[in-house]
Amino acid sequence: MRADPPLLEARDISVAFGSFRAVDGASLTIGKGEIIGLIGPNGAGKSTFFNCLAGDRQPASGSIRLRGHDVTRASPEDHARLGLARSWQVPAVFDDMSVRDNVVVGAFLRHKRASDAAAVADRVIAFTGLAPIAQSRSGSLGTPARKRLEIARALATEPEILLLDEALAGLTPTEVRAAIELVRRIHAQGITLVIVEHVMEVILSLADRAVVFNQGRVIAEGKPRDVVQDPGVIEAYLGRSLSRKARA
Amino acid sequence: MSASITAPARSAGRLVFAAFVLLALLVWPLLVENVFYQRVGALVMLAALSASAWNLVGGYAGQISIGHVLFFGCGAYASLLGFTWFEWPPIMGAPFGIALSLLLAVLVGLPTLRLKGHYFSMATIALAELARIIVVNSPSLGGGVGISGPAIPRSMADLSFISPLPYYYIFGAVLAVLLLFTWWMGRARMGFYLRAIRGQERAARSLGVPAQRYKLYALLVSAGFTSLAGSLYAAMVGFVDPDSGLGILLSVKMVIVSALGGAGTLFGPLVGAAILVPLEEFTNAAFGGDGTGITYVVYGAIIMLISRYAPGGLAEILARLKAWGARHAR
Repeated sequence: MRADPPLLEARDISVAFGSFRAVDGASLTIGKGEIIGLIGPNGAGKSTFFNCLAGDRQPASGSIRLRGHDVTRASPEDHARLGLARSWQVPAVFDDMSVRDNVVVGAFLRHKRASDAAAVADRVIAFTGLAPIAQSRSGSLGTPARKRLEIARALATEPEILLLDEALAGLTPTEVRAAIELVRRIHAQGITLVIVEHVMEVILSLADRAVVFNQGRVIAEGKPRDVVQDPGVIEAYLGRSLSRKARA
Repeated sequence: MSASITAPARSAGRLVFAAFVLLALLVWPLLVENVFYQRVGALVMLAALSASAWNLVGGYAGQISIGHVLFFGCGAYASLLGFTWFEWPPIMGAPFGIALSLLLAVLVGLPTLRLKGHYFSMATIALAELARIIVVNSPSLGGGVGISGPAIPRSMADLSFISPLPYYYIFGAVLAVLLLFTWWMGRARMGFYLRAIRGQERAARSLGVPAQRYKLYALLVSAGFTSLAGSLYAAMVGFVDPDSGLGILLSVKMVIVSALGGAGTLFGPLVGAAILVPLEEFTNAAFGGDGTGITYVVYGAIIMLISRYAPGGLAEILARLKAWGARHAR
């Protein structure tokens, strides 16, 4: 019996900005139903790698397969059609449109008729708790609501895999707890998740597997609680001298 | 509960208001006997038609074209060249003008719609100016002197009327078709996609919006209607030269009329035209030939005021006033 192919598979991905190698031969395989946490210090290359997975940046070398299709050079809209949705580090909502209309844009991917798209949008808005502000102009929203709206808009595309780029950064502890709860409910719907996050609490409480980036490379991978105790990971975050002191 | 009562009342109120405006637009020219005012009315409709066509690309999709006169010129020249070469009624050239405009929209749109912001605007200016220079240097297209339509109307098909009234209704009818299309589009996938592209193109693409394709669709519809406006203008005026058919000021006027009323709104271009065209015509009438320069000053002032205080035009000011009224009514 043949095993199912991975949902998303990136092999030997490299991206260079001039002489600086932002991602240097990184690989990652994601199975259906997983929650993967991508972590690493600032400038480690995780966001660039994330953008390659989402189709927003094409790698200089390497290959990416999504549901068995080669998407290395595919456009972001092809990724969306194949069931990949994403959020943005700096929320990129459509400011002039209402919250509901933002979500309807996402729903139009799978539903041509406006009434069908609106019905999907209303379901997603209720699911994500945005109903009280559905008619508000999205440009008037604060950061937590904008981040939630991005997730709602992505969910309206009915994805199989959702990539969240620091979707919980800048939230208060109460808001983080609410967002973690939302991510759990999304996962319960059968959606695979890849989360880039600085808040370690989020990775520890949500991820099945953590992948640690440093200087464009994957330096550790495994269960989050094991990974955060890895000496290489501690050194990457704290620096060589501080990590020695910490161990002492 | 109150919302369920006020919402139908509000939409009924809007319907009554729209019916009143429509009736006023239909009856107004018949009540005014002054030919100058009737002519201004026809020019308002023409400017509203051109600006509404521009609004699809510049307003809804946020791609600021300053070379739309290219399509206007195709329509105007196709109409009068049809007469000059084959003695056709000018309006018979309109389908050829539209066909040429659609072809040019594809040729121009495919490379330039990939450009962002100012680069797209500059590319469109360059292409329109290129077309103007080619026409100036082509004697078969009338060169710098221009070409004329029939001096004496041969039949109704020449659309050559002494009174401006028929033009007012013809322009108004085409404008109504375009506004109906725009209204439908605003509620359909295309309208949502264009507004999303205007808001954040990268984010829109990540939601599966084929941005290039939809921008091109908008450009095609826009080019077709702009070309038709050019053909109708040529039928009314009976003359076109490189300045009146392909001059950059025409493109700028489409942008300003739309931006003044509210770019990306259904009736913004009509409101903008209803303010700007009479202003321009009365200025020209008051100052004679010297008034032409004042038009540029007025355009410049409007650009500065809109950019600084109300990028959404009068529609934005109205929305602000409504919000202010609602706050103070509580």
